[in-house]
Amino acid sequence: MNRALMRKTLFIITITLASVFIVARVPLRLGLDLSGGASLVLRVKAEDASAGRQREVLEQTRQILERRINAYGLSEAPIQPYGSEGNELLVQVPGITDLSRIKNQLQRRGVLQWYAVDSGPYTSTADIMASYGGVIPYDRKLVPTKPMADGQRSWFVLRSKPIVSGTDLRDARLAFDAMEQPVTAFTLSHDAATRFRQYTEANIGKRSAIVFDQEIRSVPVIEEVISDSGQIRGARSREEAEDLAVNLRSGALPAAIEILQERTVEASLGADSVRRGLEAGAVGLVAVVAAMLLYYSRAGANATLALLLNGLLLIAVLSCFRAVLTLPGIAGAVLTIGMAVDSNVLIFERIREELRAGKSTAAALAAGFSKAFATLVDTHVTTVVSCFFLFFFGTPAVKGFATTLVIGLITNLFTSVFVSRVAFDWELSTQGRTPKLSIGMAR
Amino acid sequence: MELFKNTDFDFLAKKWWFILPSLLLILTGLASVVARGGLLYSIDFKGGAEMEVRWPETPPIDRIRAVITSDLKGVSVVAAHDLTGSNEVLISTELPTGKDLAVLRQTIDQALSTITTRYSVRNFEVIGPQIGADLRRQALMATAGASGGMLLYLSHRFRLSYGVAAALAMAHDVLITIGVFSLLHQEISLTVVAALLTLIGYSMNDTIVVFDRVREDRRIYGREPLAKTINRSINETLSRTLLTSGLTLLTALSLLLFGGPVLHGFSLVLVIGIVVGTLSSIFIASPILLFWERCWPAGGLQ
Repeated sequence: MNRALMRKTLFIITITLASVFIVARVPLRLGLDLSGGASLVLRVKAEDASAGRQREVLEQTRQILERRINAYGLSEAPIQPYGSEGNELLVQVPGITDLSRIKNQLQRRGVLQWYAVDSGPYTSTADIMASYGGVIPYDRKLVPTKPMADGQRSWFVLRSKPIVSGTDLRDARLAFDAMEQPVTAFTLSHDAATRFRQYTEANIGKRSAIVFDQEIRSVPVIEEVISDSGQIRGARSREEAEDLAVNLRSGALPAAIEILQERTVEASLGADSVRRGLEAGAVGLVAVVAAMLLYYSRAGANATLALLLNGLLLIAVLSCFRAVLTLPGIAGAVLTIGMAVDSNVLIFERIREELRAGKSTAAALAAGFSKAFATLVDTHVTTVVSCFFLFFFGTPAVKGFATTLVIGLITNLFTSVFVSRVAFDWELSTQGRTPKLSIGMAR
Repeated sequence: MELFKNTDFDFLAKKWWFILPSLLLILTGLASVVARGGLLYSIDFKGGAEMEVRWPETPPIDRIRAVITSDLKGVSVVAAHDLTGSNEVLISTELPTGKDLAVLRQTIDQALSTITTRYSVRNFEVIGPQIGADLRRQALMATAGASGGMLLYLSHRFRLSYGVAAALAMAHDVLITIGVFSLLHQEISLTVVAALLTLIGYSMNDTIVVFDRVREDRRIYGREPLAKTINRSINETLSRTLLTSGLTLLTALSLLLFGGPVLHGFSLVLVIGIVVGTLSSIFIASPILLFWERCWPAGGLQ
């Protein structure tokens, strides 16, 4: 028995077993279009920031949003920069199709400030104008309350300079007050606590206003000296108090946010796509295999082996790189299969030509493989070159296509040239001095 | 089994039998693009909202259309089709001007719930206009870059003439496919763009196989006229060409027939592309190569 052939065979078996192991242990990750879930594209309105700081603003925003989403334990997928403008972010949340709560959470600026109250409440802005004689002093400002459940809101006049603001917070969390109502409890930083103590000491009995994103949340009367902690009341539900805490903890966004794109796919629809795609793929594969066996007889079996192994390797490599398979990725896989079929056909036709030209079986095999290989290198390298461009200029979807295709092309060169050759060599080695190939030619 | 053994067709002499109909098809396609006022983009590229809803029974399309139109002021297109008897409705709208994208879904949900609450949303997408324009530009740049890269590589590995001929054949395939899409009134979506990229790869692959043989045969039969060599090469690779195309066409057809609506646009491009891409290697790329080499003959090879 030929030792080189044995070594090659062992190599192939090792790679196959490793791939089977990887595919079994590391499940292939499916994109949102296949597994169901939601994705958002956000634009960070960073144009207010000075030109040099825009990158910084984007990165800060990204981190803050990530903290907000992760606070719900929803997403392991990080928020990624998106698009070519450099101010867009892609948020992906697997397994969720109702985005309203998350959208609220993401869009909030999260700016918390604590002001001294000058006067109020007023039921309309006209009342205020009347009591201030038509002009609000420059060091005062007008802020509405958060609308009540029935949509009613009122106004307060506050001193313009906040006593403490969100950046002074050390922590915020959901808590319950003496009446078992949900509140958001917070702790101030050391610095702010000193300021706050001085202020509350001097103003016991007076009212103050907690303003969140330009709306008054509550107007507590200062009853005692407060140093480093306090509560925000007025949440209508436990979720609301919790959302506020998450917002405060994650910090205020340095820029406003606009939703540019929203996409949700119900899990069952994604599963439908996968199932139908797989079914269709299986029908196509069976048809191709049948045609190959019919046309090339035993060599067709070699091609089938190469084709299946190629599919296995492709999935294994994708799992290895933790790549996410999406519909365009499947398109890449389809082209891979097409090129794999082509590689086999190309090689087999070449071998037949050499046989027709009167070469011996072994010589025809060698010449067929080496001549076809030259062509295969050209077709494969050209496609890889184009994938390179797709990867660098393309959208994420197009990138998925390019990645799958490049991996598929590399595994294809291995299976259709190396593995298939070993299979032919086995066929020859079992025969005597004048071996014959079963490649569908009349003898 | 052996088909197409030692064939000897004069493909180059019959090129007009393909080129003329193909030009006609391209012109018709382009005319239909112009007549429709541009390509029919899906919301991926033009911005808009799309919601796929599964209804408990046969969906009352007219009522759905009516409630949504009345709730979404400033929306010019509201389409609702029944998707192949599956009780599913596809609602697509243009973006209402000056409205926050974030509340669009609520608005549609509220409108629908005036009819029934027992529907389920299978799929929802809103895409802002900037994103659409951005995607369109990016897809175009990626395709142009990829084609340019192929052209450069082929010019380097073969000769400029081979690269140009292959690139023109590829452009021909893309034009035909886009034209047919416009004629069939099919939307260009992101998935279709992925399919067009697949087609480009396939068409290029097919052309390179023929050209590779031309280059090889030129070395062996350097004395005979180029036209004869090209014909010889096409005939020698004919068996491979038809077999590969046949087999890949089988896969693409099974995707088209059994792949469901999500893969429909994708597999349609592939089916058109495989047929056209195969023919164009023989009847477009090869004649262009011959024409170029006649006009600007090269001394040696490579």
